[in-house]
Amino acid sequence: MDLSRYTTLFQSESREQLGLCGQGLLEWEREPGRAEPLLTAFRAMHTFKGMAAAMGFTALTELAHQSETLLERLRADPLGGRERTDLLLRVVDALERGAPVAAQGGESRLDFSPLLAELAQAMAGTPAAAESAPVAAAVAPTAGGGRRVRIAIRSGAAMRGARAILVLQRAEQLGRVSGLEPGVEAMELDGFDGKFSFWFEAALDDAGLAEALRKVGEVAQVEVTSGAAEAVTTAERGRQIRIDLAGLDAVTNLVGELVVAKGRLGALAADLGSADLQTAVSRIDRISSDLHAEVIEMRLAPVWQVFDRIPRVVRELARQLGRRVRVEVEGEDTRLDRASLEEIGEPLIHLLRNAVDHGIELPAERARLGKPAEGLIRVTASSDRTTVVIQVSDDGSGVNRERVLAKALRMGFVSAGTTELDDDQLLRVLGRPGFSTAKAVTDVSGRGMGMDVVLSRLRALGGSVELRSTPGAGSVFTLRLPMTLAVVQALLARVGAEQYAIPLAGIAETVDFLPDRLALVDGREAFLLRDEAVRTVHLRERLGVVGPRQPGRRPAVIVEVGERRAAVVVDALLGQQEIVVESFDAPRGTLPVFSGATILGDGVPALIVDPAALV
Amino acid sequence: MSHTVLVCDDAIFMRTMISDILAQAGFDVVGEAETGREAVEKYRQLKPDLVTMDIVMPDMGGIEAVREICKDHPDARILMCSAMGQQALVVEAIQAGAKDFVVKPFQPSRVLEAVQRVLG
Repeated sequence: MDLSRYTTLFQSESREQLGLCGQGLLEWEREPGRAEPLLTAFRAMHTFKGMAAAMGFTALTELAHQSETLLERLRADPLGGRERTDLLLRVVDALERGAPVAAQGGESRLDFSPLLAELAQAMAGTPAAAESAPVAAAVAPTAGGGRRVRIAIRSGAAMRGARAILVLQRAEQLGRVSGLEPGVEAMELDGFDGKFSFWFEAALDDAGLAEALRKVGEVAQVEVTSGAAEAVTTAERGRQIRIDLAGLDAVTNLVGELVVAKGRLGALAADLGSADLQTAVSRIDRISSDLHAEVIEMRLAPVWQVFDRIPRVVRELARQLGRRVRVEVEGEDTRLDRASLEEIGEPLIHLLRNAVDHGIELPAERARLGKPAEGLIRVTASSDRTTVVIQVSDDGSGVNRERVLAKALRMGFVSAGTTELDDDQLLRVLGRPGFSTAKAVTDVSGRGMGMDVVLSRLRALGGSVELRSTPGAGSVFTLRLPMTLAVVQALLARVGAEQYAIPLAGIAETVDFLPDRLALVDGREAFLLRDEAVRTVHLRERLGVVGPRQPGRRPAVIVEVGERRAAVVVDALLGQQEIVVESFDAPRGTLPVFSGATILGDGVPALIVDPAALV
Repeated sequence: MSHTVLVCDDAIFMRTMISDILAQAGFDVVGEAETGREAVEKYRQLKPDLVTMDIVMPDMGGIEAVREICKDHPDARILMCSAMGQQALVVEAIQAGAKDFVVKPFQPSRVLEAVQRVLG
């Protein structure tokens, strides 16, 4: 059988099952009295084993099998084996790393012998679970009359004992069985050779009996010595399938193009003024909107697929760094575009590392400060209609502003004479490539991506990052992401001869840009929006557009990202449109103002303005 | 008319594989269940000719599901799908009313043989 088709499915589902297993183990560690978490871990490990075995990955199967055995024994004595959590979590990690390796054909490179040895040792110290008492078919081993039947199960058959019991059951349906040799208990042992015999009394002749028993399957030999419908097929199937993300992307793009083409068709129909055409167009409009909504829905996946690893990651980090940390995770059911979901795992882990390494103080330090010995890291997700907000907060020391400022001055990242950094400046400095405040590159924070990658990754996803850090009380990183990447509602604006699209998600309102509402705040031009002074951004100047501007009133778009706002002055507003976001490989030297490009309904290309870059 | 099958396993991976094997052999997979409870409900609803049943599932395991199904339908044809090392559980399932079993990793031919025996 060609197993390659199942590789992707194996990888994604094994990730899920191992995630569940790890989660169960952590819960068990917290509340060893509860049976459910251990059962969850056991089931997940078992399911993983089944999949690995089906794929023919023997090393993974063996490791999973041994850990499952240990888990089963622990279930018999949940309070007795807590120190096994570490080992089992390491096994889960090893399997998580091993599964993709095996899936890519590298099974032979996997060597789990150290872990297997540890598991064996752990099991030597754990009592075997009580063998489940065989409630065998009532077979009375009394000496009896009739014929002696000797059966041999095929030697290569799986579970010869279970097969033997099937044969016995069949025999009991046909007549009276007694004098079973060996007993049912012996049959259930792994070493059972598949040979057994019993007395049989019935009217059935020898040949009929042998034939009936062979039909049970896997029966190699039967020796008999004397003295010796039609069902309901159209039921509703709420089937779940997994789709390759690339395939989903292709469908999304096609639907996106359809939406754009529909826009163009609508414009043409409006020009022609035919009522019939208009009706047809509005029908297509409805259908494509529905189709679009369905595709978007398909793209969304719950964030727990990423979040469920968090407690384990934090636990491991805390262990390495001598911290004591409790994790609270909230909003796991919040849904996010699958493409974004695949991308946010690493940035999140970076933020968690940061929180454990630079945020949460050592237990002694916390005691001195009168804080609870156990630090708290909270990861929450929530969403409104268009945006998903993920927050990572800790109750640690907050970012060390003095140290960051000193280093930023030294590296020339801030202008000389700067005496303090506000939160936004702080994040910008931390996000400069090459900036790191770690005194020494630790094994933990020194690895992987830096804050600069976190920021650029989020921006690439059309999102933003915000930092609020309070000395002594901790830091909060807020990540904002568009719920879906595929098609967004945007406001079209004209500057010079070009059209630009500004995603509606980043727009608070539009206003008339009235010169009498301008003021200077901290030496910078600001627009007075009701009682608030909002920084102005002249897109014309920012984009370097030359050429005359038509006289007259100009509009301003109030963009809003988190708590930050800016009044973006444009030449004219052209209305609202659904736009398909095309991935954007910005040519070198492109202003860092754009997050993507799109083709408008009339076939004209337009750049998508990134509100986060303007505030 | 081809035989109808209900496939019960908590792993989509296994369900897909079993469904593929059976569909390719001309069976009509009419339903899937991922918990024991769902298996019982779907059985009542679909009355399939054959059920493939995983042993370890959340929310009612496979053995209990077999017991539950066989209580009302003693003739239900249920094929247990077991992992290695679960002989005691397989025996328990047989005693609960399962008609046969296959052991993971599956070879399609073994699965089909077992299916034929159960339906035979």
